[in-house]
Amino acid sequence: MGMKFWVLLQRDVLVAWRKKSNIYQPLVFQLLIVTMFPLGLGAGAQTLQKIAPAVVWILALISTLITLENIFKDDYEDGSLGLYVLSGLPLPVAVLAKAGAHWLTTGLPVILFAPVIAVLLHLPGYAYGVLMLSLLMATPIFSLLGTVGSALIMNLKNGGMLLSVLIMPLLAPVLIFGAGAVLETTLGNNPNGHLALLAGCFVLALTLAPLAAAAAIKVNLE
Amino acid sequence: MNKIVKFYHEMGSPPSFYRITGYWLKPFFVLALALTVYGLIDGLFFAPPDYQQGDSYRIMFVHVPAAWMSLFIYAIIGVCGLIAFVWRMKVAEAVMMASAPIGALFTALTLLTGMLWGKPMWGTYWDWDARMTSELILLFLYIGVMGIYSAYDDDPRKAARLAALVAIIGLINLPIIRYSVEWWTSIHQGASISLMGGNSGIKDWSMLRPLLVMALATKFYYLYSMLHRARNYLLRTEQNKSWVMRQLTEQ
Repeated sequence: MGMKFWVLLQRDVLVAWRKKSNIYQPLVFQLLIVTMFPLGLGAGAQTLQKIAPAVVWILALISTLITLENIFKDDYEDGSLGLYVLSGLPLPVAVLAKAGAHWLTTGLPVILFAPVIAVLLHLPGYAYGVLMLSLLMATPIFSLLGTVGSALIMNLKNGGMLLSVLIMPLLAPVLIFGAGAVLETTLGNNPNGHLALLAGCFVLALTLAPLAAAAAIKVNLE
Repeated sequence: MNKIVKFYHEMGSPPSFYRITGYWLKPFFVLALALTVYGLIDGLFFAPPDYQQGDSYRIMFVHVPAAWMSLFIYAIIGVCGLIAFVWRMKVAEAVMMASAPIGALFTALTLLTGMLWGKPMWGTYWDWDARMTSELILLFLYIGVMGIYSAYDDDPRKAARLAALVAIIGLINLPIIRYSVEWWTSIHQGASISLMGGNSGIKDWSMLRPLLVMALATKFYYLYSMLHRARNYLLRTEQNKSWVMRQLTEQ
């Protein structure tokens, strides 16, 4: 089982690596959108600093959101999804491998890119650690919930909007705790409570999301 | 066979569900109408004005029952979703999909009446208060359930199973949203605007009475409307079955 898990993970990372636009597109998207904020607000450093925790977080969220649709779409269309089901690997474990690969190719770059966005928005220096830590816990949640959303809409033509509607209510608490932790830090408060709750969300997503996604895949393939 | 067990099995089969609920529609409708008329007249004309809010609190007689229904119906959708997903009962699918638009409408009504009340009382139509935000997210949950169902309109059984899955996931999410949003506003130090924070305070009976009557009225309206929709849902999804033919030719 472990072997098959790693094979699937490696394959997915390799596929993403061969088509590098998958990896840098979310980052370019973030850069484009963050440029709009100073232009639209016409504001100085102080205003930007105030909204920085929320903007960095929302950008990380949205740039991940636009990549979720394709987690299962290609596999469904070329039939490899059926092979995962037949491979003997429990479907939730296969989903976990897909989520892991998605995180490595989307979540990790987003985390590493977050300081760049944060600098552009004048986030105070002492908040970077918490920002990275909160994103480190939250981006796996995006990928895990993304498998659920993607499994629900994988055979629809224009499912992107529907996917957002489906998982946005699930992501709301994650955003509240994550952006909240960074905000608390910039205000000079202790962010540990928010971070602990974020960790709780992560564990919940890790245990439940693969089951839900596997159930959705089974319904879609039957 | 035990009477209750028999009834349970009858309600699980589309033809007998259709037959039995046919007798309930009219009583439920009459009850809903009578209670609404009584509750509104009592609430609008006979309940005393509030000592702080004057007459504008009277929108509560629509707002609070609608808010209760918005949560109650989602709970029903979640439970029916679970039954539909695990045991693949068609009637549970029908009840679930019939409930969704009604629940969404009650949620929208709650938001609308809340906004109308908020303008004169708080001075603003909208504030990102915990209650409003969670109610708005509830509306998204309803839209999600209906959206996934309508996206798979070529295969109603599959659509219903996926919608059931979405409903179950949303059910898990419901308490998380409510609590997290409460923590979130506590950070923001929002103005203490929850003048009507639940019904914890002791109320004058003449104020409470129309509220309870209206709560009953919305329950009966829901039952009437839901059963009507569920029956049509079954007719549509079972249109190739002989019982539908018999039902339609008899009338």
